[in-house]
Amino acid sequence: MANYSRKRFLVIDDQPLAREALRTIAQTVGAFAVEFASNYQDAIYRIRNNVPDIVLCDYVLGDGRSGQQLLEELRRFNLLPDETIFMMVTGEQSYEQVVSAVELVPDDYIIKPFSPDKLLLRLDRILEKKNFFADYYRKKRQQEYAQALAILQAKRDSEAGRPYRFEILRQQAEVQLASGAAESAEATYRNILENYNFPWARAGVARSLHKQNRLSEAREEIDRVVAATPNYFDAADVKANICMSQGDHGEAQKVLDEIAKKTPRNYLRKRLLAEAATLNGDTGTASAALADVVANDSMPGAVTPMDRLALVRSHLAGNDKLSAEKVLLGLRDSEVQNFDLNEQASYVALLAILLPGKGKPRLAGLRPALLLTELSSTARLDLMQAALTIADRELADCQCENLMLGNEAKKLFGAVRNQYALYGREVDFREIQRQVALKRIHHDDAPAAG
Amino acid sequence: MQRLLDVLASGIHDTKNQLFIAEALLVAKEAEHRIDLGKARYAIESAANRLSRTLSTYRLFRHGASLAVVPVIVGDLCAEVALTQGKHLATLGVTLTLDCQVVDEWPLDRDLVADMLNNAVQNAGRFARRAIHLSARIDNDNLCLRVDDDGPGFTPLPPKAGAGLLLAERLAELHVRQERRGSLHLGNDSALGGARFELRLP
Repeated sequence: MANYSRKRFLVIDDQPLAREALRTIAQTVGAFAVEFASNYQDAIYRIRNNVPDIVLCDYVLGDGRSGQQLLEELRRFNLLPDETIFMMVTGEQSYEQVVSAVELVPDDYIIKPFSPDKLLLRLDRILEKKNFFADYYRKKRQQEYAQALAILQAKRDSEAGRPYRFEILRQQAEVQLASGAAESAEATYRNILENYNFPWARAGVARSLHKQNRLSEAREEIDRVVAATPNYFDAADVKANICMSQGDHGEAQKVLDEIAKKTPRNYLRKRLLAEAATLNGDTGTASAALADVVANDSMPGAVTPMDRLALVRSHLAGNDKLSAEKVLLGLRDSEVQNFDLNEQASYVALLAILLPGKGKPRLAGLRPALLLTELSSTARLDLMQAALTIADRELADCQCENLMLGNEAKKLFGAVRNQYALYGREVDFREIQRQVALKRIHHDDAPAAG
Repeated sequence: MQRLLDVLASGIHDTKNQLFIAEALLVAKEAEHRIDLGKARYAIESAANRLSRTLSTYRLFRHGASLAVVPVIVGDLCAEVALTQGKHLATLGVTLTLDCQVVDEWPLDRDLVADMLNNAVQNAGRFARRAIHLSARIDNDNLCLRVDDDGPGFTPLPPKAGAGLLLAERLAELHVRQERRGSLHLGNDSALGGARFELRLP
């Protein structure tokens, strides 16, 4: 049995009596230092300033927030090291339905009422597991993926690893995906599925196929997951991303619209919804979703300049230039100075569209670099639109060709074509398309290296 | 129907929260006065389990019911049942022994299976003379969870199905893996001479 007297506990519950109850139980298992957080924001603040060893978090946090959202937010901002124990406490048996589906699971959950002995047993087991994975956590944190995978393989082959084989495989697949080995990740997820049809593993197959640009297969897999587990919200995000890559923006928005209503405070999902709505031509939904993000995603640093640029784009697409200008000019100089090249390109392009007097000279200054550099597709789309607006054919066509040659061609096809149509250049767009098709054929005919 | 289920679930949820506060108050008194209120706490936990089981029965017998299957370390599952029931059985003069032969994780609905085992051990406790044996092993690619006792055995066999047995049967059937289904077996061929409750999960 581990010694809990030196561990720092944080109890998160919005009900004072329940908080006291959790403290009593924690003290009975030996806890000496037990801190309280009474709500979501307070919990994030405390964890960010001083990471506890053990978090006991009630599932219902009041104000429409759940412990699951808190967990996801903590992971999103990397505030919760793998070594910290996060234990969800719930009176609802239905939480198990949540845990069996989601990507981000707590270390464990415990159903109320429970005795101190039971909590102790659970905490001991989690510590055993965390000790087992300790060397792997370190390598993963340092992004030493090859070493992390080697450690996992050794664990998988070991006798001590037998009780954790699904977790080992799951971690392997995640590291493989993160390090760009999508085919290996797919094989690992399929290995899990051979054993049992876990929805998260099938969603993993879909994510791996998506990374390999095998879109219709990816779509087939994720459709199965969404149909079988409608409450698995992360699967809806995966599906929306795949739909967008396929150019099926209507379906992407439909899926996200539905889920976003059930998770109104998930702002990563709101951003995704805005992206899908923009591509789908529904600028009202996109603007509303982004305005919500900018106003309410409350974690410091959560709302990035990219979010504001996205809001500018959706106002612009909705032909609300005044609002677009207001948001764009609201960016601080210090923020603009810290932009990377992609953000700079987008910023200058949007400025050239909205305030040509200010934007055009800056765009001209960057132009030589922009013709030659690798840029993100978002930046290219902004530049293309600006170039079309100011009739800079060479710059527009260069971005257009790059977009149509890239991996996201299907996703952005509609948006690009519409812009060319807006400036009466459909014929030119078709010619660029033809050139791109020829290049692709030529590329496919070339003998493979090696 | 979903709305009704939500209302029931929310009421049970609130009740369990209250029961948790009651149990914690007892824990605080135990520490303060150095006394053992285990019997009272066991009664509270049993009441909560009973409530959960009622809700589970309703949920699992609906059309399209699904389980929440996660990989579970079988030894941990058995140890928890022993922890929950062991002390209470000891007060009845019954010893609960444990034998888990399964090292690997097994995909199953942890909370519902644990509840079934708790219920089976509790039932066995009502009839056992001195001993109950909880065991887990793999048999023909199935996880085989058994509760044996040294009581008089089921009379009649099969016994009249109460809520607990109905639920156990349904729970077993809902565990499906590569087109194989789980099953429940009741018999009087216990290694200890009494009744045997056996849950087989693919």
